[in-house]
Amino acid sequence: MNNIEEILKEALDKLQSAQLADIENIKVEYLGKKGKITEILKTLSSLSIEEKKKTGSAVNEAKIKLNDAIEAKKKEISNKILEEKMKNEKVDISTAFSFSFPKGHHHIISKTIKDMSDIFVSLGFDVYGGREIETDWYNFEALNIPKDHPARDTQDTFYLENSEYLLRTQTSAAQIHIMEESKPPIKVIVPGRVYRNEATDASHSSIFHQIEGLVVGENITFSELKGTLQLFINRLFGQELDMRFRPSHFQFTEPSAEVDIKCVLCGGKGCRVCKGSGWLEVLGCGMVHPNVFRAVKYDPEKYTGYAFGLGVERFAMLKYGIDDMRVLFENDLRVLRQF
Amino acid sequence: MKISYNWLKDLVDFNLPPQDLCKMLTFLGVETSVVSGGTNWTNVITAKVLDKQKHPNSDHLSICKVNDGTKDYQIVCGAPNVAVGQTVPLALIGAKLPGDFVIKASKIRGVDSEGMICSQEELGLAAHSDGIMVLDEKTLLGKKLEDVLTDIDTILEIEITTNRGDCLSHLGVAREIAAKLQKIPTIPEIKTSKIAEKTLLDIKAKDLCTRYIGCHITGVKVAPSPKWITDKLEVCGIKSINNIVDITNYVMLELGHPLHAFDASTLSGKKVVVRRAEAGEKIATLDGKTHELNEKDLIIADASKPIAIAGVIGGEFSSIKDTTTEVFLEAAVFNPGSVRKTARKLNISTDASYRYERGTSWEIAETASWRALNLILELAGGRAEFREDYNIDENKRAVITLRVEKVSKLLGYDIDEKTIANILRFLGIEIDSKVKDVLIATVPSYRNDIKEEVDLIEEIARIDGYDKIPVLTDFSSASSEKNKLEEPCRLIENLDTSLTGLGFCEAMNYSFCEIKDLDKFYLNYTYKIANPISKENEVLRPSLLPGLMKNFNFNIGQATTDIKLFELGKIFDDKGERKVLGILMAGPVWQSWWKWESSKINPVFDFYFAGGIISNILPSKEFMISDNRTPAKYFHPGKTAAIVYHGKPVGQFGVLRPDVVGDFDGEVIYAEIEVENIEKVYKNKINPYEHIAKFPSVKRDISVVADKSVKFEKIEKIFKNIMRDGGILKDWSLFSVYESEKLGDGKISYSFRLSYRHNDKTLNDNEVNTDISKLLEKLKKDLGITLRN
Repeated sequence: MNNIEEILKEALDKLQSAQLADIENIKVEYLGKKGKITEILKTLSSLSIEEKKKTGSAVNEAKIKLNDAIEAKKKEISNKILEEKMKNEKVDISTAFSFSFPKGHHHIISKTIKDMSDIFVSLGFDVYGGREIETDWYNFEALNIPKDHPARDTQDTFYLENSEYLLRTQTSAAQIHIMEESKPPIKVIVPGRVYRNEATDASHSSIFHQIEGLVVGENITFSELKGTLQLFINRLFGQELDMRFRPSHFQFTEPSAEVDIKCVLCGGKGCRVCKGSGWLEVLGCGMVHPNVFRAVKYDPEKYTGYAFGLGVERFAMLKYGIDDMRVLFENDLRVLRQF
Repeated sequence: MKISYNWLKDLVDFNLPPQDLCKMLTFLGVETSVVSGGTNWTNVITAKVLDKQKHPNSDHLSICKVNDGTKDYQIVCGAPNVAVGQTVPLALIGAKLPGDFVIKASKIRGVDSEGMICSQEELGLAAHSDGIMVLDEKTLLGKKLEDVLTDIDTILEIEITTNRGDCLSHLGVAREIAAKLQKIPTIPEIKTSKIAEKTLLDIKAKDLCTRYIGCHITGVKVAPSPKWITDKLEVCGIKSINNIVDITNYVMLELGHPLHAFDASTLSGKKVVVRRAEAGEKIATLDGKTHELNEKDLIIADASKPIAIAGVIGGEFSSIKDTTTEVFLEAAVFNPGSVRKTARKLNISTDASYRYERGTSWEIAETASWRALNLILELAGGRAEFREDYNIDENKRAVITLRVEKVSKLLGYDIDEKTIANILRFLGIEIDSKVKDVLIATVPSYRNDIKEEVDLIEEIARIDGYDKIPVLTDFSSASSEKNKLEEPCRLIENLDTSLTGLGFCEAMNYSFCEIKDLDKFYLNYTYKIANPISKENEVLRPSLLPGLMKNFNFNIGQATTDIKLFELGKIFDDKGERKVLGILMAGPVWQSWWKWESSKINPVFDFYFAGGIISNILPSKEFMISDNRTPAKYFHPGKTAAIVYHGKPVGQFGVLRPDVVGDFDGEVIYAEIEVENIEKVYKNKINPYEHIAKFPSVKRDISVVADKSVKFEKIEKIFKNIMRDGGILKDWSLFSVYESEKLGDGKISYSFRLSYRHNDKTLNDNEVNTDISKLLEKLKKDLGITLRN
């Protein structure tokens, strides 16, 4: 018995200091056909049954132990080699950041339109396309803006030559199409491009983008309009922003309101962007004027509705701190790749 | 419009400092801000100059001893007008003057100064002053300056919405203040008297003039106005002319109704006619210009000639001069649209036209007429000879029924009937509440914006305050009936997501082009702008190419070399307004990379790579690239292809002609895809799931030699036909194209990778070889193509 333990100890000692190449030799020396442990089994025949059993199981145990030790040693050595190898493969991470496939980017305006549309869609709005070439009827008359009304002063219009057409000055023009094409309930937004015949500078542009909202039904209230816009603003800026509604006037809504939000840059303390007031005027809205319903042959006794319009560029410029509108349409790739 | 804070105080009793008043008015819908004036300082007191010595180190400074009644101060002063005995405003150390200017203890050229003697300019009381402000000598010393200068006015600027022309006067704004604070405005005393009537009016254009009050005054003395009038005009930015003209302006600022005074002695035939002008009629007006009129313009005329353009501007000839003794005073109501049309056409905007365009009141016209007459008689003397009032029967106050339940139905919160009636009454609206739940409102004529029930509801909301309206966030408004509305297609989103994934950036350009730019691109325009403000806005873009090329040139100019741009926008051509996708690419396909330097991987965009990009972004295999039968003229005729959907072209792409691109070393590729067309044919389409084979495929490469005259399309067709017949050939691709003398004259070699697979078993070599032989036979028989050795 002692013999077995001694032999096992001897083998394990050898294994301790073995290199990868030695391991197979050790295995043969002790566990091979003529290995030292295997040899012991050959001596069993001279033993009593009792002894045979005892020695036999001791030998088997020793075999298993040695085998396990050999496998563990092998694993240990190969791990060590792998570690060593990986250590030598270490990269210089500073060179890993000049990749040759720059990713593409959406334009900041379409990105903003998408962000805004997603919020409205989550509030149950549908998205409507709308056209950019319009008639006076859709852009003005049906919206309760008669010819020779001073309300037209605020919207210098591009007219198309030799035709009755004009370029829409407001996405509100789509309100009329929507109501003509469908029946209440209506709950849509219209993101789109609008045109104003004015010189381009840092804060004016002959084209810009608006999102129009229109909700019509049997129980639509100003209170819901306030709620909708509050939810929209909170989600857009990711924080509860104070809002205030100021009475205003649009020909196609009554009552009408201008909406201010607490300045997102200074938090209301007053800064350059909010001109010290702590508030930013961001959109116009109101309850749909009965004359607009009459123009599309809806019964103003039965239906009420609200509408709102906001300038996409204004929001984008506020959100990203852009101070010159022309930057948006220059399409400098160094700018496009920032957003 | 500029208005005076003090004048408002004369008309309504309120106790709000200017800033608070502005806020209140703004939240009533009249945007108001403080322009200037007011006591915008702290720590400025009254003091007396006791002594003045020349500054030892300066020629223009003096050292003054100033006393506030208890204490002396040494002040270095640079004003030339400072003198012993004057009472002056003294800003103490720590005082704050307009513009956040804080007074500190200082040494001026070596002499201590314990404050500053102020000028009106420094106090924000005047735009410019030449020296220090000198106060009345009886002024008590040591008082706060603001307590002494009680008559200092504050100028406010109001901005009205287009429907509130009635607020364009002090009385108008006072009415708003009164309505909110539940007060009654104090209207100046108006004396009426019996004046002889005489028919000299002839209202011919009855549709455009609904009231005309004329008053003939004789024996007036034209002179400068008294100070209380000129001061008020000055605050409001109106130049003083003479007492008669000033009175008409004063009454307009006070009550809001424009008035006009004629020199009655110049009126030929002693007639005042309100009529449409005759074509070609001319008038020299007060602005020194001569205007030619036509039958669309309303004028005031005497028996022979125009004397004023109604509601816009008076004539020079009939104007009030220093020598005038006879005045004809006009207070009239003209049609807003007509005044606006004429004013716009002649490019004139006057205080009168601005108000007339927004609508004036037949009631206020009468009040204003008496008010001006009273003032003329009081300040210029004379006698009212005749008065004539043309007034039509339709001039009645509007009567509107308001159902109380409609208020909460529209606003979303409950307001009781009593509150509603109270709000409306303080707006000057008469209320009859005899019927339960219904109010009958009689609206004064100056509120021409109140036409129906909803307008009254707005008034209620406005006065009660929009902040009273609750914010309802758990609303239940239903979504639209979708089947009726045009639905946007996901397709566009997919297209631009694919493009950005491939490294393209989205551009956004103006929708306009210059005609001369279009020529460069061989493009024609369909829509021309009738009234462009610059050449850049001449026509609507018929293609996205000019804009994207502009971006290309701009970016090349900024030393950006890899240009991958796309734009999704409307174009406008003979097919109307359509949404298209434009893609422009040029330069290196990818940026250089140190890792690739050794392998020299630096391809630039060419036709084939672009084709790969295009077929990558198309939504299904049903879209194919084929011959471009109607290529746009800006494409290189040999390097363009069409994108086809079931035989119908939906877009095209190609290399731009070198003359279109200009001096750029390389090819620029452009694609224009009709997304709206694709949307139409492809809406709601689904690419169905294809089962993945269980058995492995066998790949084989073959190279063949063909005549160059054989169109590749035909080879492609053979492959496709074989695959369509459902054989074991499942896929093929072209991986090499090779030309060489060794192949023989006019020959070209193509190498294909073929993929074979059986759906039910693993293929063996024999089966594959047999199939390849069949393919080669077919190629040889149909197109004379042979296997390359």
